[in-house]
Amino acid sequence: MSGEAKLIIQDLCHHYPDEYTGQSVHALEGINLQVYENEFVAIVGPSGCGKTTLLNIVAGLLPYREGRAMVDGVEIRGPGPDRGVVFQEHAILPWRTVARNIGHGLELQRVPKEETRRRVQEYIDLVGLTGFENRYPHELSGGMKQRVAVARTLCADPVIMLMDEPFAAVDAQTRITLQDELNRIVMATHKTILFITHSVEEAAFLGDRCIVFSRRPGRIKTEIKIDIPREQRVWKEMGTNPKFTEARDQILHLVRQEVTSDDEH
Amino acid sequence: MTSIDLQQTRRFRWKKFATEGAGRLIIFLVGSVILWALISAFLIERPDRYLPSPLSVVLSSADMLYKGSLLSFYSDTLTRLLFGGAVGILIGIPVGLALGLNRTVADMFYPLMNFFQSVSGIAIFPIIVIWFGNSDTTVLIVVLYTSFFPITFNVLSGVRAVPVRYIQAARTLGASRLQVVRDVLLPGAMPSIAVGTRLSVGFAWRAVIAGEMLAGRPGLGNMIFSGQELDNSAQIILGMVMIGITWIVLDHYLLRPLEADTIERWGLVQR
Repeated sequence: MSGEAKLIIQDLCHHYPDEYTGQSVHALEGINLQVYENEFVAIVGPSGCGKTTLLNIVAGLLPYREGRAMVDGVEIRGPGPDRGVVFQEHAILPWRTVARNIGHGLELQRVPKEETRRRVQEYIDLVGLTGFENRYPHELSGGMKQRVAVARTLCADPVIMLMDEPFAAVDAQTRITLQDELNRIVMATHKTILFITHSVEEAAFLGDRCIVFSRRPGRIKTEIKIDIPREQRVWKEMGTNPKFTEARDQILHLVRQEVTSDDEH
Repeated sequence: MTSIDLQQTRRFRWKKFATEGAGRLIIFLVGSVILWALISAFLIERPDRYLPSPLSVVLSSADMLYKGSLLSFYSDTLTRLLFGGAVGILIGIPVGLALGLNRTVADMFYPLMNFFQSVSGIAIFPIIVIWFGNSDTTVLIVVLYTSFFPITFNVLSGVRAVPVRYIQAARTLGASRLQVVRDVLLPGAMPSIAVGTRLSVGFAWRAVIAGEMLAGRPGLGNMIFSGQELDNSAQIILGMVMIGITWIVLDHYLLRPLEADTIERWGLVQR
Protein backbone atom coordinates (compact mmCIF):
# COMPACT_ATOMS: atom_id res chain seq x y z
CA MET A 1 0.00 0.00 0.00
CA SER A 2 1.36 3.36 -1.00
CA GLY A 3 1.36 6.40 1.25
CA GLU A 4 2.07 6.53 4.95
CA ALA A 5 0.16 4.87 7.77
CA LYS A 6 -2.21 7.37 9.35
CA LEU A 7 -3.33 5.01 12.08
CA ILE A 8 -1.02 2.48 13.67
CA ILE A 9 -2.20 -0.02 16.26
CA GLN A 10 0.36 -2.36 17.86
CA ASP A 11 -0.31 -5.32 20.14
CA LEU A 12 -3.41 -3.70 21.56
CA CYS A 13 -5.25 -5.63 24.28
CA HIS A 14 -8.19 -4.53 26.33
CA HIS A 15 -9.96 -5.82 29.44
CA TYR A 16 -12.75 -4.16 31.33
CA PRO A 17 -14.79 -5.12 34.39
CA ASP A 18 -18.34 -6.25 33.68
CA GLU A 19 -20.84 -3.72 35.02
CA TYR A 20 -22.92 -6.27 36.91
CA THR A 21 -20.74 -9.25 37.75
CA GLY A 22 -17.52 -7.28 38.19
CA GLN A 23 -15.64 -10.03 36.34
CA SER A 24 -12.96 -8.99 33.91
CA VAL A 25 -14.11 -9.11 30.29
CA HIS A 26 -11.46 -9.77 27.70
CA ALA A 27 -12.55 -7.55 24.79
CA LEU A 28 -9.51 -7.26 22.52
CA GLU A 29 -6.46 -9.45 22.10
CA GLY A 30 -3.25 -8.60 20.25
CA ILE A 31 -4.62 -6.22 17.64
CA ASN A 32 -2.16 -5.08 14.99
CA LEU A 33 -3.55 -2.80 12.33
CA GLN A 34 -2.47 -0.04 10.02
CA VAL A 35 -4.69 2.30 8.08
CA TYR A 36 -2.96 4.14 5.26
CA GLU A 37 -3.66 7.53 3.78
CA ASN A 38 -6.83 7.65 1.61
CA GLU A 39 -7.62 4.08 2.57
CA PHE A 40 -11.06 2.79 3.51
CA VAL A 41 -10.76 -0.01 6.05
CA ALA A 42 -13.93 -1.82 7.11
CA ILE A 43 -13.97 -3.93 10.25
CA VAL A 44 -16.63 -6.62 10.31
CA GLY A 45 -17.42 -9.20 12.94
CA PRO A 46 -20.16 -10.74 15.07
CA SER A 47 -21.83 -8.54 17.66
CA GLY A 48 -19.91 -8.29 20.89
CA CYS A 49 -16.60 -9.01 19.18
CA GLY A 50 -14.98 -5.82 20.43
CA LYS A 51 -14.98 -3.84 17.20
CA THR A 52 -16.72 -0.87 18.81
CA THR A 53 -14.29 -1.10 21.72
CA LEU A 54 -11.46 -0.72 19.22
CA LEU A 55 -13.11 2.32 17.66
CA ASN A 56 -13.67 3.92 21.06
CA ILE A 57 -10.01 3.44 21.90
CA VAL A 58 -8.94 5.08 18.64
CA ALA A 59 -11.46 7.88 19.23
CA GLY A 60 -9.85 8.45 22.62
CA LEU A 61 -13.12 7.81 24.44
CA LEU A 62 -11.76 4.69 26.12
CA PRO A 63 -8.33 4.62 27.81
CA TYR A 64 -6.13 1.63 27.08
CA ARG A 65 -3.15 0.21 28.92
CA GLU A 66 -1.70 -2.62 26.85
CA GLY A 67 -0.22 -1.94 23.43
CA ARG A 68 0.00 1.23 21.41
CA ALA A 69 -2.29 3.29 19.23
CA MET A 70 -1.02 6.24 17.21
CA VAL A 71 -2.48 8.70 14.75
CA ASP A 72 0.02 10.55 12.55
CA GLY A 73 2.75 9.19 14.80
CA VAL A 74 1.23 10.68 17.95
CA GLU A 75 0.13 8.39 20.77
CA ILE A 76 -3.65 8.60 21.40
CA ARG A 77 -4.50 10.19 24.74
CA GLY A 78 -8.11 11.27 24.87
CA PRO A 79 -10.40 12.53 22.13
CA GLY A 80 -9.35 15.13 19.59
CA PRO A 81 -10.43 16.77 16.35
CA ASP A 82 -7.85 14.76 14.37
CA ARG A 83 -10.14 11.73 14.82
CA GLY A 84 -13.69 12.59 13.88
CA VAL A 85 -16.39 10.07 14.78
CA VAL A 86 -19.71 9.35 13.09
CA PHE A 87 -21.79 7.51 15.67
CA GLN A 88 -24.63 5.10 15.01
CA GLU A 89 -27.39 7.55 15.90
CA HIS A 90 -28.58 10.31 18.21
CA ALA A 91 -25.31 12.23 18.17
CA ILE A 92 -26.05 15.53 16.45
CA LEU A 93 -27.09 18.28 18.85
CA PRO A 94 -30.87 18.98 18.86
CA TRP A 95 -30.35 22.65 19.82
CA ARG A 96 -28.22 23.43 16.79
CA THR A 97 -29.48 23.90 13.26
CA VAL A 98 -28.07 21.74 10.46
CA ALA A 99 -25.58 24.49 9.56
CA ARG A 100 -24.48 25.09 13.14
CA ASN A 101 -24.09 21.36 13.79
CA ILE A 102 -21.89 21.00 10.74
CA GLY A 103 -19.88 24.09 11.64
CA HIS A 104 -19.48 23.10 15.29
CA GLY A 105 -15.97 21.72 14.88
CA LEU A 106 -14.75 24.85 13.09
CA GLU A 107 -16.42 27.00 15.73
CA LEU A 108 -14.54 25.12 18.43
CA GLN A 109 -11.28 25.62 16.53
CA ARG A 110 -12.10 29.36 16.30
CA VAL A 111 -11.98 29.41 12.50
CA PRO A 112 -13.05 32.86 11.19
CA LYS A 113 -16.81 33.21 10.57
CA GLU A 114 -16.59 33.84 6.84
CA GLU A 115 -14.43 30.78 6.22
CA THR A 116 -16.67 28.67 8.44
CA ARG A 117 -19.73 29.71 6.45
CA ARG A 118 -18.07 28.87 3.18
CA ARG A 119 -16.87 25.47 4.31
CA VAL A 120 -20.17 24.59 5.99
CA GLN A 121 -22.03 25.39 2.78
CA GLU A 122 -19.58 23.26 0.82
CA TYR A 123 -20.27 20.20 2.99
CA ILE A 124 -24.02 20.85 3.14
CA ASP A 125 -24.00 20.74 -0.65
CA LEU A 126 -21.75 17.68 -0.69
CA VAL A 127 -24.13 15.60 1.44
CA GLY A 128 -27.19 16.91 -0.40
CA LEU A 129 -28.79 18.96 2.35
CA THR A 130 -28.95 22.24 0.43
CA GLY A 131 -32.03 24.14 1.57
CA PHE A 132 -32.08 22.53 5.01
CA GLU A 133 -29.40 24.79 6.54
CA ASN A 134 -31.69 26.32 9.15
CA ARG A 135 -33.66 23.24 10.10
CA TYR A 136 -33.34 21.63 13.50
CA PRO A 137 -32.56 17.90 13.79
CA HIS A 138 -36.04 16.96 15.01
CA GLU A 139 -37.38 18.19 11.68
CA LEU A 140 -35.17 15.76 9.71
CA SER A 141 -35.52 12.10 8.78
CA GLY A 142 -33.12 9.51 10.17
CA GLY A 143 -31.16 9.40 6.92
CA MET A 144 -30.81 13.18 6.82
CA LYS A 145 -29.60 13.24 10.41
CA GLN A 146 -26.83 10.81 9.50
CA ARG A 147 -25.87 13.01 6.53
CA VAL A 148 -25.54 15.89 8.97
CA ALA A 149 -23.37 13.70 11.20
CA VAL A 150 -21.10 12.76 8.27
CA ALA A 151 -20.85 16.38 7.08
CA ARG A 152 -20.10 17.57 10.62
CA THR A 153 -17.20 15.13 10.93
CA LEU A 154 -15.83 15.90 7.45
CA CYS A 155 -16.11 19.66 7.92
CA ALA A 156 -13.76 19.55 10.92
CA ASP A 157 -11.22 17.98 8.53
CA PRO A 158 -9.93 15.08 10.67
CA VAL A 159 -6.84 13.04 9.80
CA ILE A 160 -9.00 9.94 9.96
CA MET A 161 -12.77 9.55 10.02
CA LEU A 162 -14.08 6.83 12.35
CA MET A 163 -17.54 5.44 11.60
CA ASP A 164 -19.33 3.25 14.12
CA GLU A 165 -22.13 1.39 12.29
CA PRO A 166 -23.34 4.74 10.95
CA PHE A 167 -26.14 3.31 8.80
CA ALA A 168 -27.36 0.55 11.11
CA ALA A 169 -30.31 2.51 12.48
CA VAL A 170 -31.86 3.68 9.18
CA ASP A 171 -34.26 1.73 6.96
CA ALA A 172 -32.94 -0.57 4.21
CA GLN A 173 -33.73 1.77 1.30
CA THR A 174 -32.08 4.75 2.95
CA ARG A 175 -29.10 2.60 3.87
CA ILE A 176 -28.40 1.74 0.23
CA THR A 177 -28.64 5.40 -0.76
CA LEU A 178 -26.34 6.46 2.05
CA GLN A 179 -23.78 3.79 1.11
CA ASP A 180 -23.77 5.00 -2.50
CA GLU A 181 -23.40 8.56 -1.29
CA LEU A 182 -20.58 7.71 1.06
CA ASN A 183 -18.69 6.27 -1.88
CA ARG A 184 -19.22 9.45 -3.84
CA ILE A 185 -18.05 11.49 -0.82
CA VAL A 186 -14.94 9.33 -0.40
CA MET A 187 -14.09 9.92 -4.07
CA ALA A 188 -14.59 13.66 -3.64
CA THR A 189 -12.72 14.12 -0.36
CA HIS A 190 -10.09 11.30 -0.36
CA LYS A 191 -10.63 10.78 3.37
CA THR A 192 -8.94 8.07 5.35
CA ILE A 193 -11.69 6.01 6.97
CA LEU A 194 -12.01 3.31 9.60
CA PHE A 195 -15.50 1.86 9.32
CA ILE A 196 -17.13 -0.52 11.80
CA THR A 197 -20.08 -2.66 10.70
CA HIS A 198 -21.77 -5.98 11.36
CA SER A 199 -23.08 -6.03 7.79
CA VAL A 200 -20.93 -8.16 5.52
CA GLU A 201 -22.44 -6.62 2.37
CA GLU A 202 -21.71 -3.12 3.59
CA ALA A 203 -18.11 -3.97 4.46
CA ALA A 204 -17.48 -5.56 1.07
CA PHE A 205 -19.22 -2.74 -0.77
CA LEU A 206 -17.31 0.07 0.91
CA GLY A 207 -13.95 -1.29 2.07
CA ASP A 208 -10.64 -1.26 0.24
CA ARG A 209 -9.72 -3.75 2.91
CA CYS A 210 -12.02 -5.76 5.13
CA ILE A 211 -10.79 -6.89 8.52
CA VAL A 212 -12.73 -9.84 9.91
CA PHE A 213 -12.84 -10.04 13.69
CA SER A 214 -13.17 -13.22 15.69
CA ARG A 215 -15.67 -13.45 18.49
CA ARG A 216 -14.62 -12.30 21.94
CA PRO A 217 -11.82 -11.76 22.78
CA GLY A 218 -11.68 -9.83 19.50
CA ARG A 219 -8.75 -10.78 17.32
CA ILE A 220 -8.06 -10.04 13.70
CA LYS A 221 -9.01 -13.30 12.01
CA THR A 222 -8.36 -12.43 8.39
CA GLU A 223 -7.86 -9.51 6.15
CA ILE A 224 -9.37 -9.38 2.68
CA LYS A 225 -8.40 -6.90 -0.02
CA ILE A 226 -11.19 -5.78 -2.28
CA ASP A 227 -9.65 -4.45 -5.43
CA ILE A 228 -12.54 -2.61 -7.07
CA PRO A 229 -12.12 1.00 -8.20
CA ARG A 230 -14.39 3.48 -6.39
CA GLU A 231 -16.01 4.54 -9.65
CA GLN A 232 -17.42 1.04 -10.08
CA ARG A 233 -18.78 0.91 -6.55
CA VAL A 234 -22.44 1.74 -7.10
CA TRP A 235 -25.20 -0.64 -6.01
CA LYS A 236 -26.70 -0.76 -9.51
CA GLU A 237 -23.55 -2.47 -10.80
CA MET A 238 -21.95 -4.02 -7.74
CA GLY A 239 -24.60 -6.74 -7.33
CA THR A 240 -23.30 -8.45 -10.46
CA ASN A 241 -19.62 -7.64 -10.03
CA PRO A 242 -17.89 -11.03 -9.52
CA LYS A 243 -15.09 -9.48 -7.46
CA PHE A 244 -17.68 -8.09 -5.06
CA THR A 245 -19.83 -11.23 -4.78
CA GLU A 246 -16.75 -13.38 -4.29
CA ALA A 247 -15.36 -11.16 -1.52
CA ARG A 248 -18.78 -10.88 0.11
CA ASP A 249 -19.29 -14.64 0.16
CA GLN A 250 -15.81 -15.21 1.49
CA ILE A 251 -16.33 -12.71 4.34
CA LEU A 252 -19.79 -14.09 5.04
CA HIS A 253 -18.33 -17.57 5.37
CA LEU A 254 -15.66 -16.33 7.80
CA VAL A 255 -18.15 -14.42 9.94
CA ARG A 256 -20.56 -17.38 9.96
CA GLN A 257 -17.80 -19.58 11.36
CA GLU A 258 -17.51 -17.19 14.28
CA VAL A 259 -21.24 -17.04 14.90
CA THR A 260 -21.69 -20.84 14.80
CA SER A 261 -18.75 -21.54 17.05
CA ASP A 262 -20.28 -18.99 19.40
CA ASP A 263 -23.51 -20.98 19.43
CA GLU A 264 -21.75 -24.21 20.26
CA HIS A 265 -19.93 -22.44 23.05
CA MET B 1 -28.62 31.48 10.13
CA THR B 2 -27.95 35.16 9.65
CA SER B 3 -28.61 37.56 12.47
CA ILE B 4 -31.37 39.24 10.48
CA ASP B 5 -33.28 35.98 10.18
CA LEU B 6 -32.93 35.46 13.89
CA GLN B 7 -34.19 38.92 14.75
CA GLN B 8 -37.18 38.46 12.52
CA THR B 9 -38.18 35.18 14.12
CA ARG B 10 -37.75 36.74 17.57
CA ARG B 11 -39.94 39.71 16.74
CA PHE B 12 -42.49 37.39 15.23
CA ARG B 13 -42.56 35.28 18.38
CA TRP B 14 -43.05 38.24 20.68
CA LYS B 15 -45.88 39.48 18.54
CA LYS B 16 -47.42 36.04 18.54
CA PHE B 17 -47.24 35.85 22.33
CA ALA B 18 -48.69 39.32 22.74
CA THR B 19 -51.87 38.22 21.01
CA GLU B 20 -51.87 34.42 21.33
CA GLY B 21 -54.26 33.19 23.96
CA ALA B 22 -55.23 36.75 24.88
CA GLY B 23 -58.81 36.07 23.74
CA ARG B 24 -59.02 32.88 25.77
CA LEU B 25 -57.50 34.63 28.78
CA ILE B 26 -60.03 37.46 28.61
CA ILE B 27 -62.93 35.02 28.33
CA PHE B 28 -61.59 33.11 31.31
CA LEU B 29 -61.13 36.25 33.42
CA VAL B 30 -64.49 37.77 32.51
CA GLY B 31 -66.18 34.42 33.13
CA SER B 32 -64.63 34.03 36.57
CA VAL B 33 -65.52 37.60 37.55
CA ILE B 34 -69.15 37.04 36.50
CA LEU B 35 -69.28 33.76 38.42
CA TRP B 36 -67.72 35.46 41.44
CA ALA B 37 -70.21 38.34 41.25
CA LEU B 38 -73.14 35.90 41.04
CA ILE B 39 -71.94 33.84 43.99
CA SER B 40 -71.28 36.94 46.02
CA ALA B 41 -74.67 38.43 45.19
CA PHE B 42 -76.92 35.40 45.57
CA LEU B 43 -75.25 32.68 47.63
CA ILE B 44 -73.39 34.53 50.39
CA GLU B 45 -75.28 36.00 53.29
CA ARG B 46 -72.97 38.81 54.36
CA PRO B 47 -70.87 39.30 51.23
CA ASP B 48 -68.90 42.24 52.57
CA ARG B 49 -67.48 40.04 55.28
CA TYR B 50 -67.25 36.64 53.57
CA LEU B 51 -66.97 37.26 49.83
CA PRO B 52 -67.10 40.89 48.71
CA SER B 53 -68.36 41.51 45.20
CA PRO B 54 -65.90 42.31 42.41
CA LEU B 55 -67.21 45.84 42.44
CA SER B 56 -66.37 46.48 46.07
CA VAL B 57 -62.89 44.99 45.48
CA VAL B 58 -62.40 47.41 42.60
CA LEU B 59 -63.64 50.28 44.76
CA SER B 60 -61.26 49.26 47.50
CA SER B 61 -58.41 49.28 44.98
CA ALA B 62 -59.50 52.70 43.69
CA ASP B 63 -59.41 53.99 47.24
CA MET B 64 -55.94 52.58 47.84
CA LEU B 65 -54.71 53.70 44.43
CA TYR B 66 -55.87 57.19 45.31
CA LYS B 67 -53.91 57.10 48.56
CA GLY B 68 -50.90 55.78 46.66
CA SER B 69 -50.38 52.78 48.93
CA LEU B 70 -51.43 50.07 46.45
CA LEU B 71 -48.78 50.81 43.86
CA SER B 72 -46.06 51.08 46.45
CA PHE B 73 -47.12 47.76 48.05
CA TYR B 74 -47.18 46.16 44.63
CA SER B 75 -43.79 47.42 43.53
CA ASP B 76 -42.21 46.50 46.88
CA THR B 77 -43.47 42.95 46.62
CA LEU B 78 -42.56 42.58 42.96
CA THR B 79 -39.06 43.94 43.58
CA ARG B 80 -38.49 41.44 46.41
CA LEU B 81 -39.85 38.60 44.30
CA LEU B 82 -37.86 39.34 41.16
CA PHE B 83 -34.65 40.29 42.92
CA GLY B 84 -34.66 37.45 45.45
CA GLY B 85 -35.86 34.95 42.83
CA ALA B 86 -33.36 36.06 40.20
CA VAL B 87 -30.41 35.86 42.60
CA GLY B 88 -31.58 32.46 43.84
CA ILE B 89 -31.86 31.16 40.27
CA LEU B 90 -28.58 32.71 39.13
CA ILE B 91 -26.75 31.03 42.02
CA GLY B 92 -28.72 27.82 41.62
CA ILE B 93 -27.88 27.21 37.94
CA PRO B 94 -24.07 27.12 38.30
CA VAL B 95 -24.29 25.17 41.58
CA GLY B 96 -26.60 22.62 39.93
CA LEU B 97 -24.22 22.42 36.94
CA ALA B 98 -21.20 21.88 39.17
CA LEU B 99 -22.98 19.18 41.14
CA GLY B 100 -24.22 17.54 37.96
CA LEU B 101 -20.73 17.49 36.46
CA ASN B 102 -18.92 15.80 39.27
CA ARG B 103 -20.34 12.79 41.06
CA THR B 104 -17.87 12.99 43.94
CA VAL B 105 -18.73 16.62 44.66
CA ALA B 106 -22.43 15.83 44.27
CA ASP B 107 -22.26 12.90 46.68
CA MET B 108 -20.50 15.13 49.19
CA PHE B 109 -22.99 17.98 49.06
CA TYR B 110 -26.17 16.06 48.36
CA PRO B 111 -27.09 15.22 51.98
CA LEU B 112 -26.46 18.82 53.02
CA MET B 113 -28.61 20.13 50.17
CA ASN B 114 -31.32 17.63 51.01
CA PHE B 115 -31.22 18.69 54.65
CA PHE B 116 -31.72 22.35 53.87
CA GLN B 117 -34.29 21.71 51.20
CA SER B 118 -36.50 19.97 53.73
CA VAL B 119 -36.16 22.88 56.16
CA SER B 120 -38.53 25.19 54.32
CA GLY B 121 -38.20 28.96 54.03
CA ILE B 122 -40.74 29.51 56.76
CA ALA B 123 -38.87 27.21 59.12
CA ILE B 124 -35.67 29.22 58.82
CA PHE B 125 -37.55 32.49 59.16
CA PRO B 126 -37.23 32.90 62.97
CA ILE B 127 -33.44 32.50 62.94
CA ILE B 128 -33.11 34.97 60.06
CA VAL B 129 -35.19 37.47 62.04
CA ILE B 130 -32.87 37.01 65.00
CA TRP B 131 -29.91 37.71 62.71
CA PHE B 132 -31.27 40.54 60.59
CA GLY B 133 -34.39 41.79 62.41
CA ASN B 134 -37.72 42.47 60.81
CA SER B 135 -36.08 43.99 57.74
CA ASP B 136 -36.21 43.80 53.96
CA THR B 137 -32.96 41.86 54.13
CA THR B 138 -34.73 39.13 56.08
CA VAL B 139 -37.48 38.84 53.47
CA LEU B 140 -34.95 38.82 50.63
CA ILE B 141 -32.87 36.11 52.25
CA VAL B 142 -35.90 33.89 52.73
CA VAL B 143 -36.98 34.44 49.10
CA LEU B 144 -33.49 33.69 47.82
CA TYR B 145 -33.19 30.60 50.03
CA THR B 146 -36.55 29.28 48.90
CA SER B 147 -35.95 29.81 45.19
CA PHE B 148 -32.44 28.31 45.28
CA PHE B 149 -33.33 24.65 45.85
CA PRO B 150 -35.87 23.85 43.11
CA ILE B 151 -33.66 25.24 40.35
CA THR B 152 -30.50 23.62 41.74
CA PHE B 153 -32.00 20.15 42.02
CA ASN B 154 -33.57 20.42 38.60
CA VAL B 155 -30.35 21.55 36.91
CA LEU B 156 -28.48 18.77 38.70
CA SER B 157 -30.76 16.07 37.34
CA GLY B 158 -30.98 17.84 33.97
CA VAL B 159 -27.22 17.76 33.49
CA ARG B 160 -27.11 14.08 34.41
CA ALA B 161 -29.84 13.32 31.88
CA VAL B 162 -27.90 14.76 28.92
CA PRO B 163 -27.02 11.76 26.70
CA VAL B 164 -23.35 10.77 26.95
CA ARG B 165 -23.30 10.54 23.13
CA TYR B 166 -23.70 14.33 22.83
CA ILE B 167 -20.76 14.89 25.13
CA GLN B 168 -18.63 12.34 23.27
CA ALA B 169 -19.56 13.88 19.92
CA ALA B 170 -18.48 17.33 21.10
CA ARG B 171 -15.26 15.95 22.61
CA THR B 172 -14.31 14.23 19.33
CA LEU B 173 -14.91 17.53 17.53
CA GLY B 174 -12.26 19.02 19.79
CA ALA B 175 -14.37 20.61 22.55
CA SER B 176 -12.65 21.39 25.84
CA ARG B 177 -14.45 20.60 29.10
CA LEU B 178 -15.61 24.20 29.37
CA GLN B 179 -16.87 24.14 25.78
CA VAL B 180 -18.75 20.92 26.54
CA VAL B 181 -20.50 22.72 29.41
CA ARG B 182 -21.37 25.69 27.18
CA ASP B 183 -22.38 23.84 24.01
CA VAL B 184 -23.79 20.59 25.36
CA LEU B 185 -24.66 20.48 29.05
CA LEU B 186 -26.25 23.90 29.42
CA PRO B 187 -28.55 23.67 26.39
CA GLY B 188 -29.17 19.99 27.13
CA ALA B 189 -30.31 20.88 30.64
CA MET B 190 -32.66 23.59 29.34
CA PRO B 191 -35.87 21.56 29.84
CA SER B 192 -34.93 21.10 33.49
CA ILE B 193 -33.84 24.72 33.81
CA ALA B 194 -37.27 25.77 32.54
CA VAL B 195 -39.09 23.51 35.00
CA GLY B 196 -36.79 24.58 37.83
CA THR B 197 -37.27 28.27 37.07
CA ARG B 198 -41.04 27.86 37.17
CA LEU B 199 -40.88 26.03 40.48
CA SER B 200 -38.40 28.51 41.93
CA VAL B 201 -40.41 31.57 41.01
CA GLY B 202 -43.56 29.85 42.28
CA PHE B 203 -41.93 29.10 45.63
CA ALA B 204 -40.42 32.58 45.75
CA TRP B 205 -43.91 34.03 45.48
CA ARG B 206 -45.01 32.11 48.55
CA ALA B 207 -41.89 33.13 50.43
CA VAL B 208 -42.41 36.82 49.64
CA ILE B 209 -45.99 36.79 50.83
CA ALA B 210 -45.24 34.79 53.96
CA GLY B 211 -42.10 36.80 54.66
CA GLU B 212 -43.91 40.10 54.46
CA MET B 213 -46.65 38.82 56.73
CA LEU B 214 -44.22 37.55 59.36
CA ALA B 215 -41.74 40.40 59.17
CA GLY B 216 -44.42 43.01 58.84
CA ARG B 217 -42.82 44.68 55.84
CA PRO B 218 -45.15 46.73 53.66
CA GLY B 219 -46.25 44.85 50.51
CA LEU B 220 -49.01 42.70 49.09
CA GLY B 221 -48.49 39.97 51.67
CA ASN B 222 -48.72 42.42 54.49
CA MET B 223 -51.73 44.05 52.87
CA ILE B 224 -53.55 40.71 52.84
CA PHE B 225 -52.55 40.04 56.43
CA SER B 226 -53.64 43.43 57.70
CA GLY B 227 -56.88 43.06 55.72
CA GLN B 228 -57.83 40.29 58.11
CA GLU B 229 -57.00 42.36 61.18
CA LEU B 230 -58.96 45.31 59.80
CA ASP B 231 -61.85 43.03 58.88
CA ASN B 232 -61.49 44.30 55.32
CA SER B 233 -62.20 41.27 53.13
CA ALA B 234 -62.14 43.31 49.92
CA GLN B 235 -58.51 44.19 50.63
CA ILE B 236 -57.63 40.52 51.13
CA ILE B 237 -59.22 39.50 47.86
CA LEU B 238 -57.64 42.40 46.04
CA GLY B 239 -54.22 41.16 47.17
CA MET B 240 -54.98 37.60 46.08
CA VAL B 241 -56.20 38.67 42.66
CA MET B 242 -53.12 40.84 42.08
CA ILE B 243 -50.79 37.97 42.98
CA GLY B 244 -52.59 35.58 40.64
CA ILE B 245 -52.74 37.92 37.68
CA THR B 246 -49.11 38.94 38.05
CA TRP B 247 -48.09 35.30 37.90
CA ILE B 248 -50.18 34.65 34.79
CA VAL B 249 -48.60 37.66 33.05
CA LEU B 250 -45.04 36.75 34.13
CA ASP B 251 -45.54 33.21 32.92
CA HIS B 252 -47.09 34.17 29.59
CA TYR B 253 -44.76 36.99 28.62
CA LEU B 254 -41.49 35.87 30.16
CA LEU B 255 -41.29 32.12 30.66
CA ARG B 256 -43.42 30.85 27.79
CA PRO B 257 -41.65 32.80 24.99
CA LEU B 258 -38.34 31.67 26.44
CA GLU B 259 -39.45 28.05 26.28
CA ALA B 260 -40.89 28.43 22.79
CA ASP B 261 -37.58 29.82 21.52
CA THR B 262 -35.49 27.08 23.09
CA ILE B 263 -36.73 23.67 24.14
CA GLU B 264 -39.83 23.66 21.92
CA ARG B 265 -37.92 24.94 18.89
CA TRP B 266 -35.33 22.20 19.44
CA GLY B 267 -37.97 19.50 19.70
CA LEU B 268 -36.93 18.60 23.25
CA VAL B 269 -40.50 18.95 24.51
CA GLN B 270 -43.80 18.82 22.70
CA ARG B 271 -46.72 21.07 23.41
